[in-house]
Amino acid sequence: MVESTSANAKKFTARVAVVAAGVVSPLGFGLSETLDSLREARDCVNRVTRFSVAQCRCKTAGQVPAERLLDKQCNRVRARRLHRASHMIIYALGEALTQEPQFKPELTVIGTTSGGMSYGEDYYRSLKQGGNLRHSPTWIANYPAQKPVIDALEAFGIAAPCEVVSNACASGTNAIGHGFDCVRSGRYQRVLTGGYDALSELVFVGFDSLQASTPEKCRPFDRHRAGMVLGEGAAVLALENFNAARARGTTVLAEITGYGISTDNFHLTQPDPSGIGPRRAMERTLQSAHTSADAVDYINAHGTATPFNDTAEGKAISELFDRVPVSSTKSMMGHSLGAAGAVEAVICLLALQHQFLPPNINFRAPDEDIHLNIVANKAQPALVSTVLSNSFGFGGTNASILMRKFDA
Amino acid sequence: MSLAIAGMGWVTPLGSGIDPVWERLLQGDEAQAEKITEQFSNQYYSVFRVPESALTGSPRHPRLRRASMISRFAAAAGLEALQAAGVKLDSQSAERMALVFAISNGGVIYTKRFYRDIVEGGAQSASPLLFPETVFNAPASHLAAILGITGATYTLVGDSAAGLLAIRMAEDLMTNEALDYCLVVGAEEVDWLLCDAYRRWRLLRLAPPVEPFGRIDRGMILSEGAGAILLRRDGPIIIEGTHAGGNYRKRAEAEELMKRILRDLSEPKLILLSRAQTAHLSIRRKAGCYSKLSPMHSSIRQSQLLVRALALPDCGRSF
Repeated sequence: MVESTSANAKKFTARVAVVAAGVVSPLGFGLSETLDSLREARDCVNRVTRFSVAQCRCKTAGQVPAERLLDKQCNRVRARRLHRASHMIIYALGEALTQEPQFKPELTVIGTTSGGMSYGEDYYRSLKQGGNLRHSPTWIANYPAQKPVIDALEAFGIAAPCEVVSNACASGTNAIGHGFDCVRSGRYQRVLTGGYDALSELVFVGFDSLQASTPEKCRPFDRHRAGMVLGEGAAVLALENFNAARARGTTVLAEITGYGISTDNFHLTQPDPSGIGPRRAMERTLQSAHTSADAVDYINAHGTATPFNDTAEGKAISELFDRVPVSSTKSMMGHSLGAAGAVEAVICLLALQHQFLPPNINFRAPDEDIHLNIVANKAQPALVSTVLSNSFGFGGTNASILMRKFDA
Repeated sequence: MSLAIAGMGWVTPLGSGIDPVWERLLQGDEAQAEKITEQFSNQYYSVFRVPESALTGSPRHPRLRRASMISRFAAAAGLEALQAAGVKLDSQSAERMALVFAISNGGVIYTKRFYRDIVEGGAQSASPLLFPETVFNAPASHLAAILGITGATYTLVGDSAAGLLAIRMAEDLMTNEALDYCLVVGAEEVDWLLCDAYRRWRLLRLAPPVEPFGRIDRGMILSEGAGAILLRRDGPIIIEGTHAGGNYRKRAEAEELMKRILRDLSEPKLILLSRAQTAHLSIRRKAGCYSKLSPMHSSIRQSQLLVRALALPDCGRSF
């Protein structure tokens, strides 16, 4: 057996390029709208309209407009049967393939937490209430977590196998990280990766029942933060062996240089208050990238605005980094769960390409126990070469990735 | 890259423990089907459940106090695999073991119960105790906590190919020299709601017998349980290679895919394959280890990953 001395020793050598990206979220459809929303620090959270929230403490979420999603589909008859999660990931993949029409992945790794959950709800509600089950085959067929991914692959004639990672709120970052490892190891040349999730009643009410979501504004790292708001969206990144991408003359948008994952077994829904889980994930990411904390110019934090998460994450960041600018873009669009890591990776990509720090809106007063350099309320121009993105989830799963600007 | 199987465990409708269940399989025993009735009508279904006796002696842990059956199955199977390999985790080795957990439906019993409360009594009736158990990775989280795994943990969700994709994912993970072991677990629990959904999908038959490869496809009967295999880089039983397969829409595409897979998996002695998506792996034995080869194949099959197994050399058959 091969011996290794470090918990993060990897024999990987290949560089990993991001050659295309696509995104849809409450911030907008596509990279351009997303960039505008980030620069203008838009608050894209509004009242939930898809189901009744009358009995919930929290009434708001970041939502992708349904009518715009359907407008983007060319085959509207078939499109009506698909789950809105499928529409979102189809849009994101379409945008990425517009940039790189020749991208043929050997593997697809996508994160999600709830798949087509709202169709499962429709099915159960109709069953229980003796309602019309005429649509039940459609609901059942489109409920599984892998179905939106397969819909998207089929829409663009991609036959690559798909691995659907469901590591709660860390799913998107875990999917990108695993895709990164696959290319870096040399076993794959091209991997399509990302994440998606669509808002559903079960999940919304679930977070409300835990009192993790807030009836107020989402204020990550603020002294008066009271919880998260949910969101939805989808994002994909096309990863390719750097040398292969350069050899065929493709534009390299950025490089992913490191990935770290850790599991803390403290509690099913709460992080270890010491911050050991997030800290291990970030340390392993830096080790994986063979770089130091000093090299990081910006951190896109998990930053859910729950008291527990922000305290643990803030502690871990402040122990590892010295006044690095930090923001949680969930303040603008809510927490899109399995999509969050992927959407935030795209936001990091935009920060690298356009040299600015995305804002942490709704920030009023710093928490005395959290010593972070928050990018408060406005986007800021900055020299940004290396960014870190964090995602942490139920079950104690913690994941971070490191991205670097590429100058041709 | 090849991987070795260091240990195995399973919890099945035929009982638990590799050797006793294997004996029952050799004798051609069939698990006792149980009838369950849909809650909202008189429709009944047959299922194969794990008997209570199969969980006697399974681990006691605070995480399992409120956990669903799927987590209990996984804990018992995972622990058996580690014990069979003689592996005990400490703080250092715990970082050097990954967990890949494969599911199709996950904790469906608590998910249904949680949503039932919402439908019946509104959002204020929703239980904060149940909600965390509805999350796909809750069983993996419980298992990691029980075994003390602090390294990479992945829950892989998919169709009936998820179990083999999990082994493929483990192979990818093990290219990282930071890992010594990867525990692959597949688990499911049954409920009438699943039976109803599969019936409406025309995949289910209402009563035994199960007749795979029959002239007419009459559907399946759902069952529950868990299977676990502990993988390391060297040992007597080798998974020679895995193939993640791909997605197909037409029979011609499936046949082409199958040919490519068999071409890529050179000279396999035993091949496991799973369809919907496709995923494949081939297994061979080193000298003197044949008796442990077949339990491996069956443990995955019994783990509810709905794996079809074919003994080669008749590898030319299509599916």
